[in-house]
Amino acid sequence: MFWPKRIGSGIAAIAVCFLIDSITHHSFGSYEQRIIALVGIYVTLAVSLNLINGITGQFSIGHAAFYQVGAYLAGFISRRYITDAGHTPPPVLWLIGMILVAAAGASIAGFIVGLPSLRLKGDYLAIVTLGFGEIIRILVQNTDALGGSYALDKIPKIQEIWLIWLLAFICIAVCRNLLKTARGLTFLAVREDEIASSAMGVNVTRVKVTAFVLGSAFAGAAGALLAHYEGLITPATFTMDVSFIILTMVVLGGTGSITGSVVSAIFLSYLPEYLRTLKGGDGQPLVVSGTAVVAALIVTVLAVAAIKTVLNRHLFTPQKRGLIYVGIIIGAAMLEPLFSLLLHPVPMLANMQVAAAQLRMVIFAVTLIVLMLLRPQGVFAHHEFSWDWVKKILGKGPVPSTEVSA
Amino acid sequence: MHLVPNLLAALNFSTLPEQLVNGLLLGAIYALIALGYTMVYGVLRLINFAHGEVYMLGAYVALFASYHLGFGPNSTATSSSLANLLIMLFASMSICALIGVIIERFAYRPMRGQSRIASLITAIGVSLLLQYGGALFLPNSPPPSISENVNPYRGSFVVPLSSPPPSLAIAVKQLGPEAETKNKALQDYLASHPNESEFSLSPAAQPLKDQAQDAQRKLDDAKRELANSGVNITIRNGDVIIFFTSMVLMIVLTYLVRYTKRGRAMRAVSHDFDSAALMGINVNSIITFTFVLGSALAGAGAMMQATFKGTTITTFFGLLPGVKAFVAAVLGGIGNIPGAVLGGLLMGLAETIMVWMGYSRYADAIAFVILILVLLLRPGGLLGSDKVEKV
Repeated sequence: MFWPKRIGSGIAAIAVCFLIDSITHHSFGSYEQRIIALVGIYVTLAVSLNLINGITGQFSIGHAAFYQVGAYLAGFISRRYITDAGHTPPPVLWLIGMILVAAAGASIAGFIVGLPSLRLKGDYLAIVTLGFGEIIRILVQNTDALGGSYALDKIPKIQEIWLIWLLAFICIAVCRNLLKTARGLTFLAVREDEIASSAMGVNVTRVKVTAFVLGSAFAGAAGALLAHYEGLITPATFTMDVSFIILTMVVLGGTGSITGSVVSAIFLSYLPEYLRTLKGGDGQPLVVSGTAVVAALIVTVLAVAAIKTVLNRHLFTPQKRGLIYVGIIIGAAMLEPLFSLLLHPVPMLANMQVAAAQLRMVIFAVTLIVLMLLRPQGVFAHHEFSWDWVKKILGKGPVPSTEVSA
Repeated sequence: MHLVPNLLAALNFSTLPEQLVNGLLLGAIYALIALGYTMVYGVLRLINFAHGEVYMLGAYVALFASYHLGFGPNSTATSSSLANLLIMLFASMSICALIGVIIERFAYRPMRGQSRIASLITAIGVSLLLQYGGALFLPNSPPPSISENVNPYRGSFVVPLSSPPPSLAIAVKQLGPEAETKNKALQDYLASHPNESEFSLSPAAQPLKDQAQDAQRKLDDAKRELANSGVNITIRNGDVIIFFTSMVLMIVLTYLVRYTKRGRAMRAVSHDFDSAALMGINVNSIITFTFVLGSALAGAGAMMQATFKGTTITTFFGLLPGVKAFVAAVLGGIGNIPGAVLGGLLMGLAETIMVWMGYSRYADAIAFVILILVLLLRPGGLLGSDKVEKV
């Protein structure tokens, strides 16, 4: 019963990948195709960071570094071998090879970063990973062979969207299956209590380093795919902000929830593109006034305060809580025009024009803050999607979760 | 990697003392920012990621204050006074203090019961919000900078450290008249032969020109040797003002923390949050006080950096100084006030030494390398305790 199921789901995953590929190739333009490819890459990045951050509890905020190591390694080798030396290997096989090479390179980097995690925890580890990311970026930026601060260009373009999504599925499958094994439980044990788990015989060192190596290998593989999809990579693609975006995806989805990471990665990587495609009444890209932005921020603050006060004072049933949430959000949305009207006399704000696409990072930042204030465990918390869960919503059954009861 | 081969070749030891002094002066700013990190960490055990952004906003406040004082982008005012600088400093410090308090009240206080990681994520969120939200509202392209006219103390002075050997000065004195006479002979010849110029001489006059050139070259060589063998330190007045203002502010801070009732309460909260609350200390007001102090220092640092160094201001102005100052705080031992000052000065030195060695492109990376080394080798920092953090 076990193996047929596994093989079946493997075949199904590959079939879905080819389905995505053929749909995008047949019915979308290159712009939409690029979005779908990038979403796939971000899903891989978010799920792999979730393995380090959410499942093992090692707070890493330098994920872009591993992504960068993979991208530059694969890009550099491909450029040397194909563009400069003129070899013509079969593209798909070559790309798969490059993914493996990039994964290996990034996992070495992950191993190096994983080592300090033996001595550091929490916010200190976060800062070290951040610093490591910056060191890598500065080194690449000052290495002329890698294009310096401009770009590593002329990477042969091998645009296989099915491979991007297959990597995402493999990443999801590895993380999910890991949690089903006894070894995976040690990861959760380390997250919950390091000292207790080491007292119970868990090799904490090994678990942490494994998490870093695995997570960074997937990020490196995603980097290789990015390099070959875009054909050109710059150090600016891998700044601290990218790490923070991936972190936002993990945190929004719920640290430890693979489902959450996937959903929020799809949502958050599509959001900026959605903002860019928004059109105003005149067909130009949508522009909002400064008044509206400030009003929206004020309303958000008020809504958060209202939700926090109401929900902290009383205990409600989940249904009621949901209703209160919805009610306050609708109320806030209705208040927004009112504040806009109140702020209208301020000439500085009213005269300011903000393109909707510029709001991207602001929205990410507000999401992070609001989420931490209202639901620090993330939207999905430790819950995972499963068919049992669907059954639970429809009828009855236990809810699967990686939560460890206190 | 070209790091190793020309490592020693490019070193010029006669500029080292000047670079060291510059490093200390640069470190003063880092120390000011690091104090804010270290105090907040001491009290709340929170890395205040938004501190660098408070610093950035301080620079903008100073910028707007200078506009109001009549030093706008198109103004022609040239005379300024100490009062203007003090107004800008005061504006920066007070508004930064206010911003710090607002951030604490609305972002950090609600998170107090949550895990430290959740607070850290909030701090990152606040930092991103101020950077990118600020970019929407504040002038940042082209990046403005405070008019240098607002600073009445421009210019620099030279401190001679060691004078060159007297023999060199004598040589220059002797070579000077010789070159002059040879040159005069050439000019005289040219004056008496109007159809010849310096570049079209008759063969007979060629030796005259050669002699004149030789003598001039010898003189130049001697002069250059004279200039390079002496060790001078050129210091800009602005840097001295920065250094001494920082020192004064740090002394005031030390006084506040060590000898006042609030300062004692602050140390108590930093030592043990819960017990301090049980002993009747109003923890909230002490935390607010901490943010006021830390943010005001950051504002002062930002105002001085933007005014005396003329750095252009964008909303990412605080990102790197913030990170470096944080490293400084860790280096000195986070939570330790003298440690932050020491760490800041060392960071400044490390950075200028990198520049001195010719690796200015790596000057930003050195901060992170120091950070990683400190955390691995001595997590408590130089002056901090060796105690390993418990779960």
